[in-house]
Amino acid sequence: MIVIAPWAKKMRNDQPHPKDYPYWQEVIDGLDMPIVQVGVAGEKQLVKTFYQNVSLTRLTEIVNECQTWIAVDSFFQHFCWDLGKRGVVLWGQSDPNIFGHPENINLLRDRKYLREKQFWWWEQCDFKKDAFVDPQIVIDAVKQIINKQ
Amino acid sequence: MANNILCSISTRGRYDTTLPLAILSVINQTLKPDALVIFDDNDSPEDLRNKQHYVYLFQMLSSKGIQWSVIFGERKGQHYNHQKANTMGYKWVWRLDDDTVAEPDTLEKLYNVAIREDAGAVGGSILTPPNHTVPIQATGKIENINNEPNIQWGPIVKTQEVDHLHCSFLYRAGIVDYDLSLTRVAHREETLFTYGLKKIGYKVFVTDCVTWHLRNPQGGIRDGQLEMFEHDERIFQLKDKTIVVLDCGMGDHIVFKHVLPDINNPLVFTCYPEIIPGKSIAEAHQLLGDISQYNIYGKMDQWGWKGSLEEAFRKMYVRKK
Repeated sequence: MIVIAPWAKKMRNDQPHPKDYPYWQEVIDGLDMPIVQVGVAGEKQLVKTFYQNVSLTRLTEIVNECQTWIAVDSFFQHFCWDLGKRGVVLWGQSDPNIFGHPENINLLRDRKYLREKQFWWWEQCDFKKDAFVDPQIVIDAVKQIINKQ
Repeated sequence: MANNILCSISTRGRYDTTLPLAILSVINQTLKPDALVIFDDNDSPEDLRNKQHYVYLFQMLSSKGIQWSVIFGERKGQHYNHQKANTMGYKWVWRLDDDTVAEPDTLEKLYNVAIREDAGAVGGSILTPPNHTVPIQATGKIENINNEPNIQWGPIVKTQEVDHLHCSFLYRAGIVDYDLSLTRVAHREETLFTYGLKKIGYKVFVTDCVTWHLRNPQGGIRDGQLEMFEHDERIFQLKDKTIVVLDCGMGDHIVFKHVLPDINNPLVFTCYPEIIPGKSIAEAHQLLGDISQYNIYGKMDQWGWKGSLEEAFRKMYVRKK
């Protein structure tokens, strides 16, 4: 089973979050294995099983049960790193050298897409679809982790 | 820059009394600082280039090779100004009050002690004329601060180690921060700052040089209400704690978990006590007032940070010599 945490925290201006990966459906379609989603109520549901607003204890159980996980740059990538569960992080405009963990597979298309002001509000930044890697790269990274287990 | 020394003066209400004397004493030092910055905290700041006696002083500064600048302060207290000086990129900052006059050999004597590898700050005698001829019997230890006069209030006869300094001193810049949670009266700001250097392993010294403290009754930055002094005194009572304010996201708290065990005597305020136990952010506001200095993202932006978030937390809270 794979866990996905597809969305970053909703922004106050209701604009698409620059951290949110634009090709989730292609990734889900390309992975021939059970997938569960974690997040908070109100987020777009991508798969049949969506655990919303679960406690940290329950989230720990879910992560411990999974083979690996995929997330954008959010709380969840730090949470799994703390639990020692390796996964795939999808980066766009935030810098994995600052906010990521080398234990994970950090997929960044190109550093040229990183925003200049890494520590400013995300509301000050526009969404850029081109900043993200293609879905096949994500699928390959997940398979790489699972094949090593 | 010869010695990489910045002289910093924070001023308010003393344009035409003691500030010119302080500047003149900088000009007449046997060891010149590389630059002088004056932080003008006046309620109605003036362009000093339009005042003839300042024109003379600025001309003399320039002719002595001391770069000078005047920066309008935020009027939040002199600790804000000193923090700016602290982060202006100089190796050393020599801070003078705007009602002090340094004897010509003051900076040279301070510097000769400061260049020791283990020195964090060095101060001298801070004498108020006319009568100060007998050395003060004092230890300079922080635990005695309420029970003895300050050792700097009398002539210093030999270089010796202390825990803290006040008023005017030379310090190693960019190592620890001034506590910006103090009110604008900035009660104990220099004590907290120099003791902060001591806490992380640097030595703090007094040595035999003299700065005259005129204690000009008009002007000055420290006029304020009793409540401000009480607030600052409460912060001073926490001097042996490392105050941690996690006013940040859940993921940041998780990263911070890996830093917390290495922090000396932490007092933690947290948004997510289920991840990092501690007091609430509301309590942080109540105790500290302005908590913006603890914003880790603000700090990383200020530092031009390129390292990891965990390393940034370590830089902020796990400071060692």
